[in-house]
Amino acid sequence: MNGEHAWKPFRETVDAPMERARAWKEQTGGKVIGHLLPDVPEEIIHAAGALPTAVEGAGTQGTQAQAHIPGYTCSHAMGAIEQGMRHDLDILDGMIIPYVCDTTRNLFHIWNHCFPNKSNEFLRLPKRLDYPGAAEYLKAEFSRLADSLCNITGRPRDDEDLAASIALYDRSRAALRNAYRKQREQPAVWTSERVQTLFKSAAKAPREDHLRWMEALPWDEQSQDAMQRVPIYVRGKVWDPPGILDLFDKIGLLVVEDEMTTGYRGVATDAGSDGDPIDVLVRRHLSLTPYTGYHQQPDKLVSGFLERVQGSGAQGVIFLNPKFCEAAGFDTPDFQKALENAGIPSLVLESSSRGVSLEQIRVRVEAFREMIAEDLP
Amino acid sequence: MQPIQALKHLKTITAQYFSSAHMAKRNNKAIVYLNVFTPVELFYALDMVPVYPENHAAIIGARKMSQEVSPAAENLGYSMDLCSYPRCDIGSFVMRLSPTWGLPKPDLLVGSNGQCGTITKWFEVLSRMYEVPMVLIDVPHSGNGERDPAAERYVRSQLEDLVGVAEGISGNSLDQDKFKETIRISQEASRLWTRMLELGTADPAPMTVFDQFVAMFPIVSQRGTQEAVDFYSELVNELEERVANKVGALDNERYRLFWDNLPIWPELRPLSSFLGERGAGLVASIYTWAWSRLGVGEDDPFADWTEQYLYTFNFHMSKRIDMYVELAKRYNLHGFLYHSNRSCKYISQDIPEVRAAVTERTGIPGVILEADHNDPRLYTVASLERQIDSFLDLLAQKR
Ligand code: SF4
Ligand code: SF4
Repeated sequence: MNGEHAWKPFRETVDAPMERARAWKEQTGGKVIGHLLPDVPEEIIHAAGALPTAVEGAGTQGTQAQAHIPGYTCSHAMGAIEQGMRHDLDILDGMIIPYVCDTTRNLFHIWNHCFPNKSNEFLRLPKRLDYPGAAEYLKAEFSRLADSLCNITGRPRDDEDLAASIALYDRSRAALRNAYRKQREQPAVWTSERVQTLFKSAAKAPREDHLRWMEALPWDEQSQDAMQRVPIYVRGKVWDPPGILDLFDKIGLLVVEDEMTTGYRGVATDAGSDGDPIDVLVRRHLSLTPYTGYHQQPDKLVSGFLERVQGSGAQGVIFLNPKFCEAAGFDTPDFQKALENAGIPSLVLESSSRGVSLEQIRVRVEAFREMIAEDLP
Repeated sequence: MQPIQALKHLKTITAQYFSSAHMAKRNNKAIVYLNVFTPVELFYALDMVPVYPENHAAIIGARKMSQEVSPAAENLGYSMDLCSYPRCDIGSFVMRLSPTWGLPKPDLLVGSNGQCGTITKWFEVLSRMYEVPMVLIDVPHSGNGERDPAAERYVRSQLEDLVGVAEGISGNSLDQDKFKETIRISQEASRLWTRMLELGTADPAPMTVFDQFVAMFPIVSQRGTQEAVDFYSELVNELEERVANKVGALDNERYRLFWDNLPIWPELRPLSSFLGERGAGLVASIYTWAWSRLGVGEDDPFADWTEQYLYTFNFHMSKRIDMYVELAKRYNLHGFLYHSNRSCKYISQDIPEVRAAVTERTGIPGVILEADHNDPRLYTVASLERQIDSFLDLLAQKR
C-alpha cells in the first residue's frame, strides 16, 4: 500500500466508526463497548474480549438531545446524547462514562435513563492526582471496572490477557508517536489532519487491525515543504470544530505538541510491563498530562503547563476550550497569564459546533499566525 | 404576611461574623476558606476562622451587585458561561468592591468536590491569587450510591490528613475536648435547622422557602458556634408557635410549591411578593434540605463525614427523584418550580429527566424556569413571572 490508498482504512473508520464496529461484531460475536473521553483504560475493555470504541460527542449537530439535557452543556456531552437518540450508537452493548466533571456525572444518569437497555458503567476517576491515596483508590476502581466488563462479556478475568492487551496498546502508542514525529519532520505528507485521522481511528477500530494498517503507511516518503510553518502547542479536549486541523495545515500552523485527549496526550506515555497489570495502568494514568477536570497543587498546574509548552519549542499556544466547560474556563486565564509573562502569545478559541463557524475561526487563527510569524527570526 | 421576628437578628449576626473574620489576623487566628461539604467543626476546634466564598458571592447577588463586579472577572477571561459565584467573588476582589468589606486573606483553602467540580477550579484560582496552599477533599461519588469501600478509605484518609495540615497552619494542636464540644454544638444547629425545615409540612406553612434562604447564613458559616444554635432555637420556637396558632407565612395559602435548585438571589424579594400575592407558597426546597443532616457524632466523626460526603450528599438523579416524590407527599405539594440554573451545571443538567420522572410518579406538574442564581443579565424577571403565572393557571385548572 502506498499513496492515498494507505490512508483509506483510517478515514473509513473515522467516517463510519459504528460500521466498523458492526463488522467486527458480526465477525467475532463479541461485545462493543463505547467509552466517553477522557481516560477510560481501553486495555481493560480489550482484555475482557470487547471492542472499545471512543464516543466523541463534539461536532454532532441535532435537536433531540435538548429534551434531555439543557443547552448550557458542553457539546461533548450533548453530542453523545444526540448520537444515542438518533440511533447512531445502537451497536453499543455498553457505555463507560468517566467521572471527570459535573457534566459527565450528570451525563451518566441521563444516559442511563435514556438508554436503560445498555450496560452502563460510571468510572469514578480520582481528581486529586498528587495525593498518595489516589493510586490505591484507582487500583480498586480499575479492578472493579475489569470485573464489571468481564461480567458483560462472560470472559473470565485473566491478568495475562490484560498484560497482552497492554503490550498491544503500548505498541500502538509507539507507532502513533512515530507518526506524530513525522508530522513535525515531514508536514507536507504527514499533515496534522492526516495524523489526527490515525489517532482518531485508533480509538475506534480494532487495535490489532489499526496497528497493521499503520505498518503499511508510507513511512519513507519524502517531500519538500514549501510552506513556512509556525510551531504551535494546543490545549483542549478534542479537535473541535471539525476541520480545525485542516485549517491549521492550510494556513501554515504546525502542531508540535498537544494535550488533546484524542491527541498526543493519549500516546505520550506507555504503560510498560513492570508488575501487576492493573498497577501498571494506574501508574500510567497518574503520569498523564493532567486533564482539565483533575486537580494538582494549583501553582504546579500552571508551571507544569508552562514547562511543557516551553519544552515543545512552540511559538504560540491555542486553547480549544469547549464552550460551557467550567474546568477549562477557570484554568485558562491563569495559564494565559503565565504564557504572557514568558513572552509566549496565545489565543483562546471557544470550541463548540453550535453557533461558531469555521470561517469566523479562520479569521482569528490567521491573524494569530501573522502575529506570531512577525516575531519569528 | 407577618414577618418572622427572629430573622431580624440576622443583620447583626452577619455584621458581627464579618467583622470578627476581618479581625482574625489581629487576634492571631488563621483563616480557612471552605465550602459546604468540609469538616468545619475541625477548624472551629483549632480556633481558625472559616470563611465561605460562596456566601460572600450570594450576598453580592442578593444586594444586586453582581452586574457591577462580575464584568471585572469576565475582563480577566472568565467567561459568562461559567458559574456566577466565582465570577462575582473574583470580580469583587479585583474591584475591591464588596458588601462585606471584602473577605479577609486566607491562610488555607479547603474545598470538596462532593458538592461540585467548580469549587475545585475556583479554589485553585484563589490559591494562586493569594499564594496560599489548597487541600481538595476528593469525593468520588458512586453512580447510584452503591457502597464503595475503596472510596471510603480514600475519603477518610484525606480527612485524617487534613488535621495535620490545619494544625500546621493554625499553630494549634487539636484539643479533643474542644473538638467534641464543637461537634455537639454543630449537631444541635443542624438538628434545629432540620426541625425548621420540617415545620414547613404544617398547613399553612409557617415560613416560606424565601425566608429559609435568608435564614441560611448561620448554618452555612457558623455551624459549630453557639450563635448559630441561639439563632435557630429562637427561630424554631417562633415557628412552632405559629404552627400551633395556625399562622401561615402567607395570608391565603392556595398552592404549596417546591423550589428546585439555588435561589435567584437578586430576585428574592420580587419573586417572593409575586408568588405571595397569588397565594403560592414555596414550602420546601432541595437547596435548604442540602444543609440538613450535616451533624456528626463525637465517637468517630471521620467515619460520619465520610458517610455523609460519599453517600448522604450524593444527590444523584434517582435519589433526587425518590426524594422529591417523598417530599411531595410529606409537604402535600401541588407543584414543582425547577430553576434551571445556567451557572450550576451540577444541579441543573438532569432537571428535564427529574421533572418528567417526578410528574410521572406523582401526577404533580412542574415548570422549568431558565435563569441564573446570581447573574441578572442571564434572565428577565418578566419572563419568569409569565411562566409562573401560566403554571399557576394550570394548577388552578387542575383543581
Ligand atoms: S471536562 Fe469540560 S469538556 Fe470535558 S465533559 Fe466536562 S464539561 Fe465537557
Ligand atoms: S452554584 Fe453550583 S457550580 Fe456554582 S459553586 Fe455552587 S454548587 Fe458549584
